[in-house]
Amino acid sequence: MAEKYRHLYVVIEHEDGEFLPVSLEMVGEARRLMDSFNTKYSSNEKVVAVILGHNVQDLSKQLIEYGADAVVYADNPELKDVRNTIYTKVIGQIVQDTKSLGEIEPEYASDIKRPRYMFFAADSIGRHLSSTTLVELESGLASDINKLVIEDIEMSHQQKTGGTKETYAKTLEMYRPDFSGFLWTTILCLDNRNPAFKRDYHPQSCSIIPGVFEPLKRDSLREGKIIEFTPTIDPQDLKVKVLGREIIKSEVDFETPRTIVSFGRGIKDDPEQNIKLIENLAKELNAEIGVTLPMSKKPYQISQALDSKYMIPARVIGTSGHKTSAMLYVAAGVSGAMQHVMGMKDSGFVVGINPDEDAPIKNECDVFIKGRMEDVIPLLIEEIKKQIQIVEVQ
Amino acid sequence: MGGLNIAVIIKLEPDFSEGNVSYNPDGTLNRAETKNTLGPHSAIAAHAAFFGRVMYDAEISIGTMGPPIADLALQQAQQISDAEELCLYSDRLFAGADTLGTAEVLRVGIEKMQEKMDIVFSGHRASDGETGQTGPQTAWKLGFTFLGNVISYSVDLETRMVRAKRLISLQGFPSVIEEVEAPLPVFISIDPTYKSNYNTVSQRLAFQKYQKEATQRAENYKDYFKIFNAKELGVDETLVGLPGSPTIVYKVERVPKSTATRSAEVIDGSDPEQIRKVVSKMKEALAAMVIK
Repeated sequence: MAEKYRHLYVVIEHEDGEFLPVSLEMVGEARRLMDSFNTKYSSNEKVVAVILGHNVQDLSKQLIEYGADAVVYADNPELKDVRNTIYTKVIGQIVQDTKSLGEIEPEYASDIKRPRYMFFAADSIGRHLSSTTLVELESGLASDINKLVIEDIEMSHQQKTGGTKETYAKTLEMYRPDFSGFLWTTILCLDNRNPAFKRDYHPQSCSIIPGVFEPLKRDSLREGKIIEFTPTIDPQDLKVKVLGREIIKSEVDFETPRTIVSFGRGIKDDPEQNIKLIENLAKELNAEIGVTLPMSKKPYQISQALDSKYMIPARVIGTSGHKTSAMLYVAAGVSGAMQHVMGMKDSGFVVGINPDEDAPIKNECDVFIKGRMEDVIPLLIEEIKKQIQIVEVQ
Repeated sequence: MGGLNIAVIIKLEPDFSEGNVSYNPDGTLNRAETKNTLGPHSAIAAHAAFFGRVMYDAEISIGTMGPPIADLALQQAQQISDAEELCLYSDRLFAGADTLGTAEVLRVGIEKMQEKMDIVFSGHRASDGETGQTGPQTAWKLGFTFLGNVISYSVDLETRMVRAKRLISLQGFPSVIEEVEAPLPVFISIDPTYKSNYNTVSQRLAFQKYQKEATQRAENYKDYFKIFNAKELGVDETLVGLPGSPTIVYKVERVPKSTATRSAEVIDGSDPEQIRKVVSKMKEALAAMVIK
């Protein structure tokens, strides 16, 4: 039987002629998933990369080399800047285009209504683009995913199946870490088979956290189809104009500093004083200051100056923030939720300061200093002053 | 030159502030014992709306979907924004909705507000759900131009154009501030770093005047408050709540403890001699970097 849904579409992001790393990470994960899908179901569904922009032919070719079976590209000067409305409509056109589907796989093209699966990047562009595209396609979306599995799922669900047992074949299990980092929630996007309100919900889509999956090695021998799509752009949508772009130096710099000192809920006994302690420690180490995700939710009554400087998303280390491979990482009062660990585990030398020896952060530390930061940090500062001076004299 | 109508969509969220938030022993949020409040990102969106009130004499409306106790969030947002219309969309039929089912309720709610909206604001994301999808999905359903990550904006009331600065952060690239221009109506999701700037004396006077008005209004918020159920809103019941939600939460599990990637040397933090050794190791780690 011909199927209405086929293939996994990956929406690619790029800047200045280069891929964002997450784009190739998504293509790599898509390749692995569809290879095992095709083996398991004796099928031949494809990984289709979608790329929009101006002068993107060369990038299109590279996507095949990084693992895509086919690339559909739209090349137009009006697509140079990412404008949400235009991009959403063009992606909607591409994934429902019978002509390009025919080039990807002629035998099924006329039956296919929608992609089976779709991936976007969970970043400043992809989060919003995925949201609007999935309204356009009237289907579901899970955000900030870091694990994917395809399974046949047998379930009885009051709303989805009207209480009877049904098998949802080829279901994408989308795992997302919750804000605490301690829980993993699996999201499914399922058709409504309940006779009371039947509805098809495809594609099953998600946005994927950058830095989680491995890209494949580039292989210039890999072959695939490169298909040009000519988009229809509504003149009305061109009234939204990008007037200029300015590169900014963020007030928080996790790229250059070789040391990061981060803090979490362990500051709670005296947040104001403890943040000042951490500031002093960071100053001695010439370090940038990072925080755990719960800190960005402003849990403490502290002075406005410290609050607006530190309790902000821009300082978050973790899956909802920055990933670092600092040479020296000091985690003070950090419990070590996965959310945070994912952001710091590639660091060089890791020192934890925590009174609780069972805290998961211990597993990520080279040295675990058991004690309260109020007691430990002053000793550290004193000692650093002595030893760093020696380094400077030399 | 027409006036400006602004809507804000907000959310009642767990209050993560110390003393109000409660965590289970395993580190997860204890929802039953945690109090609720206006979400911090919703509050920033309300500040952005108030900027429109001060600068352009805009009329503000606020909408939220939630349980009856969400009137608290509406009152808090009114105190910030000086809104004169507070709408709560509340019905058992809306419960359990994912972002698509929620966006449908908000779309109908916004279209049912007293005035036709020129700008709708939402926060960056909810602090409990964290998807950040509801804003852009509501925008697309309304047919409004969506502008995300906005850190400042201005409106030209004559040309009916909005100008906005957006903060774009992409993996592996330096952050960029992009300036965009779009015709009204627009839907703006506000970046956490948004700030309102009131530069002139007359702006600051208007700020004080409306702030005072906001306090008075919030004291009598019930005079501005309306509650709508599904029938009163006239929503299509198959597009909201569970039937209108493509996604379900299939399971929630504890993230498996990662196997120790390093074996930590545990030292006593009160022993200066041990601290001395740690610092010399830290120094070695940094020295290796310098040589490289």
